[in-house]
Formats: sequence, C-alpha cells, structure tokens
Amino acid sequence: MRPAVEAEKLGIPSVVITTSGFTTLARILAKSTGIDNLRIAEYPGPMGIDNSAEMKAKLEQRVFDAVVKGLTEPENTVPTRLGSRNPADIVFTGSFAQVNDFFNDQEWGDGLPLFAPTRERVEEFLAYTDRKPNEEIGILPASNLRAVPLNIAANAIMAGCRPEHMPLLIAATEALADEKCNLYNIGSTSAIVPFLIVNGPIVRDLGIEFAGQLISRGPNPAIGRAIGLIVKNIAGFRPGKNYMGTFGYPFAFALAEDESTTPWETFHVEQGFDRNTSTVTVGVTNNWGPTSEPSSTKDMTAAEVALELLCREIPKKFRVYDFPTIGPKAETVMVTLVISPPIAKLLADAGYSKRDIRQHVYQHARMSLREFTWITEHTFPRGMTVRQKAEAGVLPKEYLGAPDDMVRVLKSPDIVHIVVCGDPNRNRLMSFEGGHTVPTTKEIKLPRDWKERLANKARSTETA
Amino acid sequence: MEKLAVISPAGVQVVEQKTLAPRLPDLAGKTVAEIWNGVFKGDETFPVVREMFRRHFPRTKIVPYTEFPFFPGDDRPHAQHEVARQIAALAKEKGCDAIISGNGA
Repeated sequence: MRPAVEAEKLGIPSVVITTSGFTTLARILAKSTGIDNLRIAEYPGPMGIDNSAEMKAKLEQRVFDAVVKGLTEPENTVPTRLGSRNPADIVFTGSFAQVNDFFNDQEWGDGLPLFAPTRERVEEFLAYTDRKPNEEIGILPASNLRAVPLNIAANAIMAGCRPEHMPLLIAATEALADEKCNLYNIGSTSAIVPFLIVNGPIVRDLGIEFAGQLISRGPNPAIGRAIGLIVKNIAGFRPGKNYMGTFGYPFAFALAEDESTTPWETFHVEQGFDRNTSTVTVGVTNNWGPTSEPSSTKDMTAAEVALELLCREIPKKFRVYDFPTIGPKAETVMVTLVISPPIAKLLADAGYSKRDIRQHVYQHARMSLREFTWITEHTFPRGMTVRQKAEAGVLPKEYLGAPDDMVRVLKSPDIVHIVVCGDPNRNRLMSFEGGHTVPTTKEIKLPRDWKERLANKARSTETA
Repeated sequence: MEKLAVISPAGVQVVEQKTLAPRLPDLAGKTVAEIWNGVFKGDETFPVVREMFRRHFPRTKIVPYTEFPFFPGDDRPHAQHEVARQIAALAKEKGCDAIISGNGA
C-alpha cells in the first residue's frame, strides 16, 4: 500500500491488491498519509489457504478487472478537507444510557459502560497537568491523529480513571506517539495488546498495585482500560477495520514494578532514568501466561528450574521466532519476563543479574531446526525457505545445520525485558511476547504542586 | 433525568488529503510496475496477473516485482515510508506509467 501512496504523490496512478479483511485497513492507512480514495482490487477471502488453481481463478475472475479499472477509470471525487473540530466542543447531550449508545455508535467504546466525559469532569482532569488543554502531546499512528490533554482526559474519564492519573496517561500517550513504540503495526490480525509498566515514586503516590493480582486491583484496570481507549479513539484503531485481531483482544493492562523487593536495577533505571524519577513504559504482548511455578528438586535448584522453564516456554511463542525470519532488517519483537519477588531473589542469590538471565535465555531457548523449519514454512510463507534465508544471511549460519540441530530462537538478548512484580509469597514467573514494538519509556512530568494536590485530595476524601 | 453534555474522545485530524494521480486513458503501450511487499503469496499472484496482461493488453510492458525491493524489512514507520518513497522513485526512474502494489494492506 505504501509504495502505491507514494506513487500517487509522484503522479503515477496505482492500484493495491488487498485481501477481503485488509481493504478497510489499506484505505485507513492511505488516508493517514494523505490519499483518502485509494484504488483497491480486492482478492476475496484469505489468500493463504487457497491453492494455486483457486488463486488463479479468483485473480482472473475477481481481481484483474478491478486492477484495470483502478488504473484507468477517471477520478470523480474530491479529497475531503480537514474539519475545524475543536476537541473542547460538546458533541452530544443526553442521559447516561444515551451517551453510551452514542459513543458506541461512534465506535468509541470497548463493550463496557463508559463514564461520561462532561466538561466539568474534564476540567478536574486538566487541573492535574501543566499542559494546555489543546497542546499537542503527539501525533498517534497509524491514522496520524493529534492527541491533546482534552481527548486524553475524555478517554481517561470514560475508562473510570481518577483526575490524578492524568500525568501518567499523558506520558503514556507520548510513548505511544514515539516511533520507537511503533504503534503503526498494532492492528495486526495476530492481536497485539498494549500494556504499561509504571516505575518510580508515582507508583506509591497513586496506589498502583505491584503485588499479588496486580493487573486486576487498585487503579491498574482503569489505567489499562484508558490506554486501550486512547489507542482506539485517539490513534484511530477501529476493531474489524484497522484493529484486526482475529479473535479480538484482552483488555490493555498496567503493571508496576515491586521496587522495594527487586534485587536488581529497576526497569526504568535500566532505561537510563534516575530511580526517583517516575516513568511509564509502553510495551505490547500477543498473549498472557501461562504462569510456571519453579520448584527445587533433588537434581536442580529452584533457580536452575526457573531458567529452564523460561527456556522451554519461549520456543513455544511463535511470534518470537516468526519475526526474525522475515527479512535482512528483521522486524521487531519484545519478550517480557515477569518474575515474582521470591523467584527474583532466588536468581539473584544464585548470582544471576538481569543481564545474565537475558544472555541465558538467548543462548538456551532453542528448538530443533526441523521444527523451526516446518512451522515457519507452513505459516505465513514468504517465498524463501529457511535454508535459503540462512544462505542469504537473513538467518544466522546455524540455521544451515542438520534437522536435529537445536537452533536459538531469539534474535538477541536485548529483546528480553525483566520486571519484578506479583505476589510476594508465590514462586511464579511468566513470559509474554509481542511484535513490532520496542518498550518505550517516558518520564511522567508532574504538575508543580503535585504533592500538595494529592494531600488536599486525601484530606477532602477523609472529610467526606 | 440528568442530561450529560460530553466532549469527543477522538484524535484530531491533521493530515491534508491529496488528489489522486490522473488515471491512464488506455493501458496499451504503457509500462506497469509490480510492487510486492514480500507477503501473502505475491510470488504466485503477480505471475498470474502478468499473464492476464499479456493476454488482454499485449502492448503493455510489465516490470516484474523482482526489479524492486520486495523483502519486508525494518518495520518502523519512518523506515517503511522511506522504502516506499524509494520504490516509487525507482518506478518513475524505470519509466513506469502505473503501479500495481500487493498483497494485503
């Protein structure tokens, strides 16, 4: 699609061959870069499951004519003009139920009841940032829409957040807008879910949960939900159109690191921030769980078992090794290890730093070349065999080996990220992985009188 | 019943839309580029489309996808945009009058 858009800008007519599920996505992406009437020739159904004869028939009967028309039929429409909508404008007035119906009709909801972003409520949220209501926080891909405190507050309110969550959500939105985060590809049919990691003093200021059941307690669910709504509404990802998870999405979620018990540098210190700086990181995942329970045996320490479990789990995550097989500048994937405090202590006591753990799983998360070859060549084939890719330098030389050779599945130790959190009394760990994104961390900039505001709020709550 | 006046949670449009390039009055004698994004079996579909052109528009010259970069690479938006811009410029340099791009989105 992208070369077609650039060709149009050079005065060269173009047509894009899509498959049924991707037509709206192509149109939305084209519009985001300035071509809102892209010519499409749609291939009916999922091409991947059709054999050669079926493909030939569909191309001849359904696609070719659209290709010719796309290149030759004159354009009769005029491009749409930018509107003059002010994010502060009232767009609807009605009862709670009517507001919810209206928002759902606009595809602004997530299936659950939404709190109403009235001006009065929005003002309460804006009071927790020094940014101006219409100040640009970022342009969010893929639709390239502008985020400002007003629409961030609206989504936060709808999700059930509190006004004091605004600085965190503004920083998270800055991260979403960062090219490093690469929100552009989050609409993948593989269903990529964003999540947050919160670090620093704000974790305790806001009572964000970092211990047992953390994603389901305290303010974490509302904050996670707000990020999901921001991705949907400000970034413009619409389910079934350009937000295409085949089976849908679990809700976005929020983690906080247990900084009081971690034996290692905290996540945000690893990213170059001071321990006393509050930060939020945006990451992504394609899955949740399972949670393994390492235990010591006669032969192995619990630390050894923990590492072995990770190395056995990671090769089961298709995304991890699918992405590095794509091209010479392999697409990005991130692996997050969430480790409960007892397991973190166990590993640290055994002499493992975070770097050691990364290196260990990079070296020891392996699968047979036979298995790797079968899976990568039978799912989303890309025209080259594993051997051809290895010969071309796309994959490391170890992929030229014998079928029973055990090959590494991680592109690099640097794609592995470690967060200590969860129940301090349980020996559990989990890994999850997501495509296209590098964890993106931003400082949470607090309003000048942050502590005083929180204290006043606490006093007024007590009085009430 | 309380009436609630609400604002929009949507992002604000900032990208100006452009007019499409003029379409070709006829494909006869024109040069058409195949641009493959490296996925969704373009290596199988483009030859079929190429053969259809040969049959229906014998005077149309096709520049096959193999003459352009076609392996998906760096997935960052800026890099993808730059590759797309380079491919479009290469098509122009090769004298292409039109582009067919595929497959998927």
